[in-house]
Amino acid sequence: MGMSVALDGDARLAAAAKVQEEHGLVRSAQAGDRLSFEELVRRYDREVLRLALNLVHRAEDARDIYQEAFLRVYKNLHRFRFECSFYTWLYRIVTNVALDHLRRRTSRKEDQAPVPEDSEGTTRDFFDRQPEVRAASNPERNLLGQELGEHISTALNRLSPRERMVFEMKHYQGLKLRAIGDMLGTSEETVKNSLFRATRKLRASLAGMR
Amino acid sequence: MHQEEFDGLQSSACGEFETKLTLLAADELDTSESEEVQKHLQGCERCRRAFQQEAELLALMSSDRSEPDANFLASCRAGLFDSLDQQEERGWLRRFAGSFLPSSWISPDPAWSAALLLIIGFSVGLFGPHLLRHTPTSAKTSQNPAGILTATEPADSNIPGSDLNAISPLDLHSADVAGINVFPAGDNAPPQVELRLNTQRPMMVSGTVDDANVKRVLIRVLQDSQRYDPDVRLDAVELLRVRNNDPEVRSALCHAVHTDHNAAVRLKALEALDGAEPQTLVRQTLLDALVDDQNPGVRVEAINELRDLAAKGQINSDDELLKVLHERIKKDPSTYIRLQSAAVIRDLGPRQKF
Repeated sequence: MGMSVALDGDARLAAAAKVQEEHGLVRSAQAGDRLSFEELVRRYDREVLRLALNLVHRAEDARDIYQEAFLRVYKNLHRFRFECSFYTWLYRIVTNVALDHLRRRTSRKEDQAPVPEDSEGTTRDFFDRQPEVRAASNPERNLLGQELGEHISTALNRLSPRERMVFEMKHYQGLKLRAIGDMLGTSEETVKNSLFRATRKLRASLAGMR
Repeated sequence: MHQEEFDGLQSSACGEFETKLTLLAADELDTSESEEVQKHLQGCERCRRAFQQEAELLALMSSDRSEPDANFLASCRAGLFDSLDQQEERGWLRRFAGSFLPSSWISPDPAWSAALLLIIGFSVGLFGPHLLRHTPTSAKTSQNPAGILTATEPADSNIPGSDLNAISPLDLHSADVAGINVFPAGDNAPPQVELRLNTQRPMMVSGTVDDANVKRVLIRVLQDSQRYDPDVRLDAVELLRVRNNDPEVRSALCHAVHTDHNAAVRLKALEALDGAEPQTLVRQTLLDALVDDQNPGVRVEAINELRDLAAKGQINSDDELLKVLHERIKKDPSTYIRLQSAAVIRDLGPRQKF
């Protein structure tokens, strides 16, 4: 018991030290230190890129979201007042940029069924990008995989941008609904409703696949 | 078909538990709520099946996940940092302009600012063409009406008023190189080069790579890899290769090896360094490429050049070099590089015993 309390205390101290260190980086970046800003980018950019890639399923679009989001962070860094964590503030910007992007795409008909591209810009099916073991040189399995990918893509296209964002952030970024609400500038209840709607729509679209 | 399944699923869980099952799957229930739902699940087959379906749905969606690979992440980062560089430069220009025209002059009264802008526009329209007509005579640059600017002075010339200043840094910064034409010359003479620049008006720079303007534009191409096509960058490397002992050229080639995102350009830049005086920067560039480059072809070229230098006795054996080579022997995934690293150590001589 005593040991566990001591460990908890150590963990809290370590977390506090980490926050302090990050705030120090943010302050340096606010003062114009470019290297500090780059360090902040390196800490979070993989998660940001993963979020973007899984929302839009197209490498070039994900790159656009990544770039626009971090440029906005850079321009608005002086407005960060340490009232929330830097991570939350960063994600507010990232989710806004990604939602704008999804909304624009929803309004463009030709983008309704995105075909994923790899980092070289080559168009490839999602299942082409999976590890070899999945296809395993089995044409039947490969075909099933392609069908599944198409069904999931269609199902995701039926979600509104916000529903898609909430589903992604909850289940794949592992965020709590309250934190998602903070990032999207809305209440926990609204986020909860978006999650219910997203789950129902996906369930309906993919019922035959399971 | 979907509608039927949807309706079926809607009613598959007990009404009051439908949303709670979603929250349980999302790990969003507190302890007491979670216990309540778990207890209900034990006694309710419908809800158990519905919860099972919820878990299957999440598993199914998980199969459609993508993870950004390291190359893609690195290229996004490079693009971002380049954009930041450009923003900082633009910000510097704005501050510079702002020091001459403080915003307080304009911002309080939009009507005055509009009038001022009209006057400026009118003046530029009236006097601009006149000034432009006089530019060629005031600058000692041979420039024809089509915007062809011929570099005539050698790069190392110190003659005042030579073409060294014919392209301003601002021109160079804003210019896009639309294309490079190379006309081979016989008898080991350097080839004639034509560089088509897209500035505010199209401009042509022609001459050999020994000419200052040509050299400056080619170096600029290598320094700003995000801006120019790989073909243009490859041409620039090829042309600069003959001057690889010029410190500016050498530095640009090393810069390309370190930063260009195209492996073909990095490889060609490394090849262009072959035969350059093996001073510290070149040596460090070879070592960096050997250790850090993701492309095996580039790493192979780096170890080949190091081997060549070691065989000719043009590189000193020191602790850093030996450490890198020993690391390669242990860690490099390429057998060729591991063998060549060992060969370089052998060529360096008996200083180190292992």
